[in-house]
Amino acid sequence: MKSYLVLEDGAVYPGHSFGFESEAVGEVVFCTGMSGYQESLTDPSYKGQILVMTFPTIGNYGTAEGFSQSDSVHCRAVVVREHTVHPSDSYRGKTIDEFLIENRVPGISGVDTRDLVIRIREHGTLKGAIIHDQDAIQETISKLRSMPAPSESDLVSEVSCTEIQRFDEGKEYTVGLLDCGEKSRILKNLREHFNVIMFPYDTPSDVISDSGIQGILISNGPGDPSHPNILKGPVRTVSDLSSSMPIMGICLGNQITALAFGGNTYKMKFGHRGCNQPVSYDGRIYITSQNHGFAVDENSLEGTGLIADQFNSNDKSIEGMKHRDLPIFTSQYHPEAHPGPDDTSFLFSRFLNVIKGEYR
Amino acid sequence: MKKDYKKLLVIGSGPIVIGQAAEFDFSGSQACRSLREEGYSTVLVNSNPATIQTDPDTADRVYIEPLTAESVAKIIEKEGIDGVISGMGGQTGLNISAELAEKGYLEKYGAKLVGTQPDAIEKSEDRELFKETMESIGEPIPKSRSVNSVEEAIEAVRYIGRYPVLVRPAFTLGGTGGGVAYNEEELRDVCSHGLAYSRIHQVLIEESVLGWKEIEYEVMRDSKDNCIIICNMENLDAMGIHTGESIVCAPCLTLSDDDLQMFRTASIKIIRALKIEGGCNVQYAFDPVTHDYRVIEVNPRVSRSSALASKATGYPIARVATKIAVGYTLDEIPNRITGNTSAAFEPSLDYIVIKIPRWPFDKFRTVDRHLGTQMKSTGETMSIGRTVEEALLKGLRSLEIDNIGLDPIDMPDEEIHAEFTHATDRRIFAIGEALRRGWDPADIAKETCWDIFFVNKLKNIIDMEKKVRNGTLTESLLRKAKEMGLSDLNIATIRGDMSEWDVRRLREDLGIVPVYKMVDTCAAEFAASTPYYYSTYNGVATEVRKSGRKKVAVIGGGPIRIGQGIEFDYCCVHGVMALQEEGVETIMINNNPETVSTDYDISDRLYFEPLETEDVLNILKTEDVDGVICQYGGQTSVNMAVDLEKGLEGTEVKILGTTPDQMDVAEDRRRFTDLMRRLEIRQPPSGTAYSYDEAVAIAKQIGYPVLVRPSYVLGGRAMEIVYSDEELSTYMETAVKVSNHHPVLIDKFISDAIEIDVDSICDGEDVYVGGILEHIEYAGCHSGDAAMVMPPYNLSQRIIDEIVEINRKVALALEIRGLMNLQLACKNGQIWMIEANPRASRTIPFISKATGVPLAKIGVKVMLGHKLREYGLSGYRPIDHFAVKESVFAFLKLPGVDPILTPEMKSTGEVMGIDPDLHTALLKALMSAGTDLPTEGGVYITVNDLDKSRATEVARSLADMGFTIYATRGTSAYLTRNGVKNIRVSKSGEDSEPDALDLMRAGDISLIINTPSEHSGAVRDGHNMRRKAVELEIPYITTMNEAEMSVGAIAVKREKELSVKSVQEYHDLRF
Repeated sequence: MKSYLVLEDGAVYPGHSFGFESEAVGEVVFCTGMSGYQESLTDPSYKGQILVMTFPTIGNYGTAEGFSQSDSVHCRAVVVREHTVHPSDSYRGKTIDEFLIENRVPGISGVDTRDLVIRIREHGTLKGAIIHDQDAIQETISKLRSMPAPSESDLVSEVSCTEIQRFDEGKEYTVGLLDCGEKSRILKNLREHFNVIMFPYDTPSDVISDSGIQGILISNGPGDPSHPNILKGPVRTVSDLSSSMPIMGICLGNQITALAFGGNTYKMKFGHRGCNQPVSYDGRIYITSQNHGFAVDENSLEGTGLIADQFNSNDKSIEGMKHRDLPIFTSQYHPEAHPGPDDTSFLFSRFLNVIKGEYR
Repeated sequence: MKKDYKKLLVIGSGPIVIGQAAEFDFSGSQACRSLREEGYSTVLVNSNPATIQTDPDTADRVYIEPLTAESVAKIIEKEGIDGVISGMGGQTGLNISAELAEKGYLEKYGAKLVGTQPDAIEKSEDRELFKETMESIGEPIPKSRSVNSVEEAIEAVRYIGRYPVLVRPAFTLGGTGGGVAYNEEELRDVCSHGLAYSRIHQVLIEESVLGWKEIEYEVMRDSKDNCIIICNMENLDAMGIHTGESIVCAPCLTLSDDDLQMFRTASIKIIRALKIEGGCNVQYAFDPVTHDYRVIEVNPRVSRSSALASKATGYPIARVATKIAVGYTLDEIPNRITGNTSAAFEPSLDYIVIKIPRWPFDKFRTVDRHLGTQMKSTGETMSIGRTVEEALLKGLRSLEIDNIGLDPIDMPDEEIHAEFTHATDRRIFAIGEALRRGWDPADIAKETCWDIFFVNKLKNIIDMEKKVRNGTLTESLLRKAKEMGLSDLNIATIRGDMSEWDVRRLREDLGIVPVYKMVDTCAAEFAASTPYYYSTYNGVATEVRKSGRKKVAVIGGGPIRIGQGIEFDYCCVHGVMALQEEGVETIMINNNPETVSTDYDISDRLYFEPLETEDVLNILKTEDVDGVICQYGGQTSVNMAVDLEKGLEGTEVKILGTTPDQMDVAEDRRRFTDLMRRLEIRQPPSGTAYSYDEAVAIAKQIGYPVLVRPSYVLGGRAMEIVYSDEELSTYMETAVKVSNHHPVLIDKFISDAIEIDVDSICDGEDVYVGGILEHIEYAGCHSGDAAMVMPPYNLSQRIIDEIVEINRKVALALEIRGLMNLQLACKNGQIWMIEANPRASRTIPFISKATGVPLAKIGVKVMLGHKLREYGLSGYRPIDHFAVKESVFAFLKLPGVDPILTPEMKSTGEVMGIDPDLHTALLKALMSAGTDLPTEGGVYITVNDLDKSRATEVARSLADMGFTIYATRGTSAYLTRNGVKNIRVSKSGEDSEPDALDLMRAGDISLIINTPSEHSGAVRDGHNMRRKAVELEIPYITTMNEAEMSVGAIAVKREKELSVKSVQEYHDLRF
């Protein structure tokens, strides 16, 4: 079926519908990873977004259960140059088409994705829609223009767990995981070192502090960290817990930590989404996996006690912080990878050492 | 400047051989530029004159000297070098560095190896150390044992537990001498072969992972332990076929992110454990069923794969590795693509790259075409597309093997099955054919061990082919066919009812034109300034921004193959440089990932595209160029001139230099013969035969021997000298199919003539003779194979004057603007015209290195309208030193090829020996070519009757130097009669006398002089002996000229200490 990607700036990219046959509206963002499409599709941080894959042929090795980072696809739609109809059979899973149908998420193929990416790079992130009716294009453009950015809605509430869950691994220490839309690999990494209690993002801080944990990880998640529900939920929680236990933050968790200490965040022009972002840290370079459209404002950290100690080598934006006095550290990137490089997985064992009091 | 070095030496890789091609010219040139950029005084040594890196402006001092530890040590001493960069010259560079260290030269002269250190090299090259290292970091490698004998090998298989096993010789290039053994008998055979090839007489017997996927990672590491992956690559052909022989795609397509990250992490662990500072390549075998893997190999240096990775991603690996070697860290090296970031990043691709090897089987029809662990390909093509199909078809179209795309192949079903399990170069066509016949992709995948993903990609192409054949060519179908990657010619051929031009017209009328996308390392995330493009029909927006400047496109030479070597890439690069010196914007079009011309730093804009009329025309129109140069890319570009002219009709675009019509005069026999008659230049009598009877009649009329060849192939293919009706009939039956459309050309062959190559530049008024080269072999040996001397050493001044005059007349008559090459024969004081080539020839770089005059550059300036007198060039100026060109052959790697030189070219590369003394120059050239002339031992002489008196003097000189002379009956008697003591031997198995082959095997013979008698039957007789000589690496001489020259060189080798001298010194002396 003919399908159109329509953007708020008036651009129209015709293509063909694949996956679930429906229309979608979202913020159009691009990801430059060459593999790991299933991990990205199931990453809750893409909630509210239409995801453009820069790699031109997507679905080459199909899908498999173990690759998913949550139990559903979170982006509102996927844009590709080509989706693979006959994938490799090494992983014996469904095709990407079947996977999207099952998850009720539409895709559009046949788009000049490189041209689209250049447009986003030049204009910044754009609102867009996938529609099937050519006659509705003009109307869609005006709707898009008057619509608020999807990142302004309370997206975290859509992806966070709703009940407290316990994972007893028989380990010495127990940590909390504040779930703002965590990728399952974060939980998996934590469980290698700790017993874990996963909390919904809006769990009151006294419930958390009474649970007997020795530290807490604030997860990744979608949307604007300064959304009122985030400010009164996780930001306050971090603020409350910060003097009583070690905290590790990943992605949105990094931004939440900055806000908790009085720092500010801002929306980036088009963000960082991919598996090749170089981060400079302690005189070394690490290649990291990233997915974020907001960042911490370095100037706002003055006097907060937080010190930015990791930076993106390309645009010098903040990639990680630590607290001057407290056992708190964060990364803007994803040390749990999936997709992407494992270079920084040492941050999880560091969290253990911090809790043990062996690393400061 | 980072670390303090007074002077750094970059070691090149020597001549082009199978397994080591132009990629090291690319890496060495990048290394030199990278070092000089940092202010280091730089010296380069390489014996290959056809390289860009041996240009005098690449390094402060350039030495064209033999790549032996001894001669490199002399350079180190003379120049006061304190740092040696070993990782840029392939295995040759590493081996010489290891030898410099072992023999104590580095210590003696206070020089250090810069970059990856000897112990790191050893850890990756020495199988046992490698195994220990991998075990210590928990990386799995195939079970294996290093052995030094066949008996130990059999024991090793008992330990491994099963056949098949792989046999891998230590310290060789491109897997020379390796193989697979399925049983003990095969093991004995392959193993003894392998042991002979290894520099340290050692082979590895290894557990087989045949059928697993082969995956490669290109890794970089700096002194701060920062590690990055530049690129990963997936071989379409499974383990068992050398990666150099496999079709490869980048990035990996059929592996999950989990598995790719597993390999990434392993690669980083490995480069850290080996402590490599710079680049390395790690190869893995991956079981697609169990997802188990093995580390197969690590190359601790830049390699052909790294050249491919550089071109595939835009990341300049050699340049960055060089900076790391002198102490920079990745974050300190600027990224020139984005302009404001550092080299510490990993490229992200938004396109698909396919590499396809180019094999020489079109030239070597008798060679076993099966692919295995030993390399046989001479070169490769790279193509870029937005889909696998598009990239694959572009790659196939770049091969220049007379195919149109994924062509049908006339092969019975059984043979197709055989291709699947035991591949040759035709396997991809066999897969296509099987799909055309409706075979199930799953079965094909299973038999070929290809991932079904790729088989289905071929199926998409075949399905489209069917639609194009059976459907109406509507706009929508045509668009889909172009998106699939079918060329206009392919579409026309499939349909059969229209021409390539018809398709083009229809397509352009419908507005179906390609767009051009940029290779920018970052998938468009950042605005980049890389001037590096590829075409695609899978897109709507083009990224090329036309400038208002004057623009000229240079058409490259395509994949390296026999007859079309690195020489043409040299010419193209010089063409680009000359245009830039003139302020003209340059556009390079080529598809060879190994070369300097496809370094995006060289031209203002690089297009990585097939070199077919369609693709080139599309670029010329998109760029709106002012002119195009077709004379520099060898046959590839020359052959396109006429079609380009047709396609450019009605535009302002000019084909620069000599007009296509004049080029046609030189190519067309009738027009050329008319011209020669008018100019009163002698030409061997000739004729064109449309049938066997006509051929016999023509041969009778002009007299045997005659040179015969089909009219429809170029480059000496299927060209032979025949001496009788009988031989002519054999040739006509076996070598060619004669018909009205495909006549056979017959020329009188002038035996025993001296052949001469002349390269010159003409501006329409004046002619400058750049060089006259005298062949050492007689006419009849392809000029690409012949050893040549400059200046001529046998010709009188009168003859030379006459040559210069003939050259002047021809150049002016053909209205040459730019370069021209003449091939002449000289006999009994008479000069004969063999052929005129109105284009850059193979000998241009050699002459330029010998004289210091950059002929290719001046050729382009002349095309732009400059006059020779502006550069002070006219007439002919001989040089006052000698330069000798020797050719390098792949006989060792290609069992089945007769190592005798014929009109059909067989060499893969060339070397140059340069010295004030003729015989010393020859000796250096021979050393560089790997011919080890003996200084003592036995010489086996068997010559034809005409050569007996000259052979006597050769034998006498050798005997006087202490050599033992062995000779066959006739020769022996003649020698004895003339007072040369000798031992009579039999040809193999003749009678009771000692047998020549036995003597060779026993090591009693260190030189062979064998001039075959004048007919090809006997030429073939010596085949066994020649093959044996090749295998035992015994120098083998087949002409008396060569024999006399070699005696001189042997005398030099016995008596003289060789000295080294840079090209700068030679040319300063001259100018």
